[in-house]
Amino acid sequence: MRTVLLGLLIAGCSTTNPPTPTKAVCPTPDPMTLTWDSFGQAFMTEFCTDCHASTLQHSQRNGAPLFHDYDTLMFVLEIPDHIDQWAGSGPAATNTLMPPSRCPSVPGGPINRDCPQPTDQQRKDLSVWLACEVERVQM
Amino acid sequence: MAAMSENHQDGSELSVGLSVEAARFETTFYVGSYQGATPSLSWMHGRFGASAAISLYHLTENGLSVYGAGDAMLGGIATVLERDTLHAGVAFHVMFPTGSELENLGMGHTMAMPSAWATWRSAPLTVAASAGYGRALVDLGGEQHNHGPMPLVDPMNMQELTWSAAADVDLGRGLQVGGRVRGGVPIGTGTTRAIAGGRLAWGTPRISTGVELQVGMAGDPFTIRGVVDTALRF
Repeated sequence: MRTVLLGLLIAGCSTTNPPTPTKAVCPTPDPMTLTWDSFGQAFMTEFCTDCHASTLQHSQRNGAPLFHDYDTLMFVLEIPDHIDQWAGSGPAATNTLMPPSRCPSVPGGPINRDCPQPTDQQRKDLSVWLACEVERVQM
Repeated sequence: MAAMSENHQDGSELSVGLSVEAARFETTFYVGSYQGATPSLSWMHGRFGASAAISLYHLTENGLSVYGAGDAMLGGIATVLERDTLHAGVAFHVMFPTGSELENLGMGHTMAMPSAWATWRSAPLTVAASAGYGRALVDLGGEQHNHGPMPLVDPMNMQELTWSAAADVDLGRGLQVGGRVRGGVPIGTGTTRAIAGGRLAWGTPRISTGVELQVGMAGDPFTIRGVVDTALRF
């Protein structure tokens, strides 16, 4: 019984790093170098919208939660903190929970290829861009 | 929990069990189904008992199929009050995060769940009830993106009050029919959950088998779930 308990405790301590806010901030003044047109749309298309798209029915989403759609800036701004905590990088954390290891080769298709992964710089840009977009909405 | 007290004896008793289940769910964020198998081991000695169980699942969530273990559970139970018709006691269960939180198979943290239970029996009727408290052993003040009740296979709140009630009637020849309800009420943010079910069981002193059909009444635990369980006692 002692061995079982120890094993379970170890298992409980060895889970994947949880989603963590990166604490990235938008430079002041906002240089407007990272925008939906210059960065966000291309990033989402390359890494996210094969599953996270509002056009995909639940059975086509390969596990992506409903209402987690990144094919428009409006949808992204529904949950910027969530995106930051799963895929962004910043002073407080580097989150690599998304993209997963395997992806569909066409939106909504079967999982049949390794997912392309953002570079560290792209993850940092993602978090800064999200921080800037949130500030732009608030202004 | 309450069912364990029904087999209370002065000697020791070892019980092995297997439960299989199939469910469909439709939450705000996920639509799908799961199938699970849960082997369990229980031991009773006098007023005290212990149990261990872990579920293995196949989960289909928004078109993604995953296999994996759920959270493992260890529990202890003690009978505090013992009368001819009334038994009551306390229990303490701990769930360990052996299931993947990211795949919606586990909570992602240890849960502690103390509770109190009571059973009253006057043949042919048996009534049981329990009330408890469940809490994730993590900082509850942290930012938490809400995906609704999690995990999909056995949803709970980070901190909640739990409750259950059951009534069974002996039909003779070892057959029993009954109904049960159970649920959870969040403390702080969360979702109130309620499940109702009907159960048909057959048993002897050595072996018992039950079939239960459940519906999710509140909180999207599942839309419908079927459970078949059997236990062999030594």
